[in-house]
Amino acid sequence: MNPARLVERFGDRASVSESYGDTTIDVAPADWIELLTFVRDDLGYEFFDWLTGVDEPPDAFQVVAHVYNPVASERLLLRTSVPRADPHLPTAVGVYRGANWHERETYEMFGVIFDGHPHLVPLLLPDGFEGHPLRKEFVLAARVAKPWPGAKEPGESGHGAPSRRKTLPPGVPADWGTPDG
Amino acid sequence: MSTSYDEATEGKVYSVNGADWDQVVAGARDTEEERLVVNMGPQHPSTHGVLRLVLTLDGETVTEARGVIGYLHTGIEKNMEYRTWTQGTTFVTRMDYLSPIFNETAYCLGVEKLLGITDRVPERAQAIRVMMMELNRIASHLVAMGTFGMELGATTPFLFGYRDRELVMDLFEYITGLRMNHAYIRPGGVSVDLPAGTVDKVGEFLKEMTKRIKDIRKLLDENPVYVRRTRDVAYLDLTGCMALGITGPILRAAGLPWDLRKSQPYCGYETYEFDVATERTCDVYGRYLVRMREMEESLKIIEQALDRIAGPLKGDPVMIEDKKIGWPAQLALGPDGFGNSPDHIAHIMGTSMEALIHHFKLVTEGFRVPAGQAYASIESPRGELGAHVVSDGGTRPYRVHFREPSFCNLQSFPAMAEGGQVADVIAAVASIDPVMGGVDR
Repeated sequence: MNPARLVERFGDRASVSESYGDTTIDVAPADWIELLTFVRDDLGYEFFDWLTGVDEPPDAFQVVAHVYNPVASERLLLRTSVPRADPHLPTAVGVYRGANWHERETYEMFGVIFDGHPHLVPLLLPDGFEGHPLRKEFVLAARVAKPWPGAKEPGESGHGAPSRRKTLPPGVPADWGTPDG
Repeated sequence: MSTSYDEATEGKVYSVNGADWDQVVAGARDTEEERLVVNMGPQHPSTHGVLRLVLTLDGETVTEARGVIGYLHTGIEKNMEYRTWTQGTTFVTRMDYLSPIFNETAYCLGVEKLLGITDRVPERAQAIRVMMMELNRIASHLVAMGTFGMELGATTPFLFGYRDRELVMDLFEYITGLRMNHAYIRPGGVSVDLPAGTVDKVGEFLKEMTKRIKDIRKLLDENPVYVRRTRDVAYLDLTGCMALGITGPILRAAGLPWDLRKSQPYCGYETYEFDVATERTCDVYGRYLVRMREMEESLKIIEQALDRIAGPLKGDPVMIEDKKIGWPAQLALGPDGFGNSPDHIAHIMGTSMEALIHHFKLVTEGFRVPAGQAYASIESPRGELGAHVVSDGGTRPYRVHFREPSFCNLQSFPAMAEGGQVADVIAAVASIDPVMGGVDR
């Protein structure tokens, strides 16, 4: 990656950082499409790899994309941060066709809305599913609703002696209680 | 999936319930529209698990193809956020169930990057990982080739593929105790050293598999029916692959020698001698040839790895020496596939209180991983398999995202199938070789 050309084009609007052998470029959501187009056309990162989100409560969702330059065999992480209160980001499908399913997955898992996406509907989750499972406030509740047949711990999912300390399944808040009370 | 269902049923729908066929035909004659929407799956034997395809047909030609996925979504990425870093391996191994070793390795390489221990993982562990991955690649390609034959109407390749895959499964069972879902690769090394006799068994396997691959080539390479069903079918050129993010045999059949084992070596792949198979045909037959040659190259790599395991690396540790990270790796394999090391139990229960506390903390709480994000990717049988691992400094992953090659490659299915014949849709999907456990995660 040639940081000089990036600085020339974006100046202070992009910050470049290195961690664990990966180069990461951070920009504001408004510059997202400009950055993607720039790295594809001017820096040779033609190969779209993947796109996903990371929840950063209380303020933001990070959207991360990974692209390759197959000639130079280099890779880049591109990152932006959208506000949790109003998570909107322009779609990358116009720049990289392959972003289509990745954005749909990020949309259903985090609730980030990709403006201009050709078909922004849930991809993996069943019909009528409510909520965005990969948000941190989404409780992993399946074990509370349905006893686990493999329960071994005393007090877990209604097995064993009730006098023993009850253990909640991982990811369930302490005040939720177990199905048997 | 309501939206796709609504779209699939727009226009006039002909239902034969309670009506004579003559009436249905007469009704269809009244309209100008000659579009036919066909639903394939999700429980169709040739859609590789629970994949649903919605095809719009004009005669025999596919005008629009759409894949509907999500039937096997298990929330692995969410679940991992509530378990320790080590427990994560038991989840990821279940994603793409035909290449469990690759899932584990990609995840562990990501965790090792964050821990900063990539260079400290013992060489013997790396050689074992390489050997296991290449064995797994052969098993996975055999299934790809076998199901492919069956979907085109030939049962012999299917029987050959599954019969020969058993040889690999037997080895896996002998080494890890399980046929699949091994959780064998762990952050810092592998869960247990190779049992006695492994080197001989793998040596016999190499001889036998060389013959078996020749048999399959004799059966299919020049088979006129097979060649006609696959050549110039489901064409996807390099430009299409680039825009859609396609990797693996599909990309290599389009002529680009892109293989992460060469372009960004991991686990010491730079020290092994092998070639990257490529074809320039961009079609289903090319992808088949690439897979066959990859199996032959895998045999070469296994042979080299085996020489190192039996030779210079004999007796070396298979787990990182750092006691804060490395789980006790001197397990004795019990009849149930897992077991404890009598020496280790004697040590923690009989001689050292600190060791007992330490073992308890490591097993129940897990180790801490420094805050940050890292991406590690490997070349799985289906293409680039990567793990984007984010830590907040705790004992559990903050977020793990998998770049699943099946997921990315399946996106290319409309590009391959649209404009082609309906019979070639099956060949197109089979040549992508999607594993729905990986697609849906």
